[in-house]
Amino acid sequence: MNPVTRISPVSDAQAAALASGDTLADLAGEIATTPAAARARRASPRSATRRRLLIGIPAAAALAVAGLVATSIGSPGQKVGPVTVGPPKAEAAALSFTRHGGYLDVIVRNPLADAKKYRAEFARYGLNISLTLVPASPSLVGTLVYASGPTTGPQIIPISAVGKCWTGGGGNVCPVGVRVPLDFKGQAYLTFGRAARPGELYETTAPANARGEALHGLSYVGKTVAQVLPLLAARHVVAAHYLLNEHCENVGSRTAPAGWYVTDADPYAQGEVQLWVSKTWPSTQQSCPGNLPSPTASPHNH
Amino acid sequence: MYPVSKGANVPAPPDPAPAERRRRFDELYRSHHREVLGYLLRRTPNTDDAADVFAETFLAAWRRLDDLPSDPEVRLWLYGTARRTLANYRRGERRRLALADRLRADLASRYQPPDFSGELAEVTAAFRHLPERDRELLSLVAWEGLDPGQIATVLGCTRNAARIRLHRARRRLADELARRRPQGDPPPARAFAPNGDIA
Repeated sequence: MNPVTRISPVSDAQAAALASGDTLADLAGEIATTPAAARARRASPRSATRRRLLIGIPAAAALAVAGLVATSIGSPGQKVGPVTVGPPKAEAAALSFTRHGGYLDVIVRNPLADAKKYRAEFARYGLNISLTLVPASPSLVGTLVYASGPTTGPQIIPISAVGKCWTGGGGNVCPVGVRVPLDFKGQAYLTFGRAARPGELYETTAPANARGEALHGLSYVGKTVAQVLPLLAARHVVAAHYLLNEHCENVGSRTAPAGWYVTDADPYAQGEVQLWVSKTWPSTQQSCPGNLPSPTASPHNH
Repeated sequence: MYPVSKGANVPAPPDPAPAERRRRFDELYRSHHREVLGYLLRRTPNTDDAADVFAETFLAAWRRLDDLPSDPEVRLWLYGTARRTLANYRRGERRRLALADRLRADLASRYQPPDFSGELAEVTAAFRHLPERDRELLSLVAWEGLDPGQIATVLGCTRNAARIRLHRARRRLADELARRRPQGDPPPARAFAPNGDIA
């Protein structure tokens, strides 16, 4: 018997039993509500899934409630996007609740509050809603980046504000809160983008050249590392991390060969970006197994 | 469930997923989620990474559903995608997916990687001493039950290359096991029976 067989850490059946049936079923449902946009992106050398969850919202499905947002950010402190990121007053509520007919409109007022505080404030309204905030690149601060909940019954609706952020696709309608029906039943999970602390890595990012991001308006794709670094320096932006594409896998590195080509850039942390670089240009990543409909023989036989 | 933003990188408002597409995805997920989760937990003790890569793998499958091979080859596609994504996570390209929050919590609270003792601890030590590439080849045979042709599909190499590399990996494991055996202890006739069609 192959001795490796005997040191299998876990069987498929054991692995599946570690997650509850609800967790696994809900995850499938959440994945299936994301846009199937691969066809539009297949020509791109980048992986369609490497960024944090990217979900589009049909503009028609969002409520534009600009007035509500304007009143919700009237507190002191530094304003970044629609939320206040300065030190909150100790007694301040983390969320603001405004009743509108049969709905509660909820806006995040303190994006640095403890998740328990949000949960407690929702619970005061009888709502079982879990809210988390993740450090986001500047154009996504204050926006709702992820939500899930029951598929039947009254639904939570994102509240959008025009001009509070800019999407990679050029749109500027972004959710900044949620509208919860008073008779909402079940559990919901919401994730907002918040401003990153200095040095803190972003967990959700727009393209580095999107409006509001560090490299907006800069052209870098297809240029060499040696050409791009001075452009970054002129903006006081540092290339803090590189992903070197070799043999169809991206190798993380603190440095990159000066003559390699930049294929993409991500916001990384405040004043920092991550550059995707490739030895050749145009990049040959399209021919990698993961970027094809199915894995096929690659020229790299290691 | 309701769609929400993210602002970044959104090409166009998505069409509502046709019921037929959703049905196909549900079938794929139902048939293969155990295998993908098992594959990942056998590769990494980091349950957060396993949860995120699991979600990323099926997110990729959902997005490319119309291009995926049919059963049973789709299982190999899922392994290949999970393998590359996990490799990138290990190299620092790590993103925490909000949609994997609950799976991450479930796995973190319930999974304890086994701690082998005695002879199996020896095997584990020898196995861990091998290069990652060798470990993956041996694992795909021993844990996922793949043959060299299927391994070639997962790794994106030719069948012949998979056979040669597997043969070498087995030899290196046998050498490593022999090296760890106390002196005077006679080696077995074969470290282990070849599994598959190695020449």
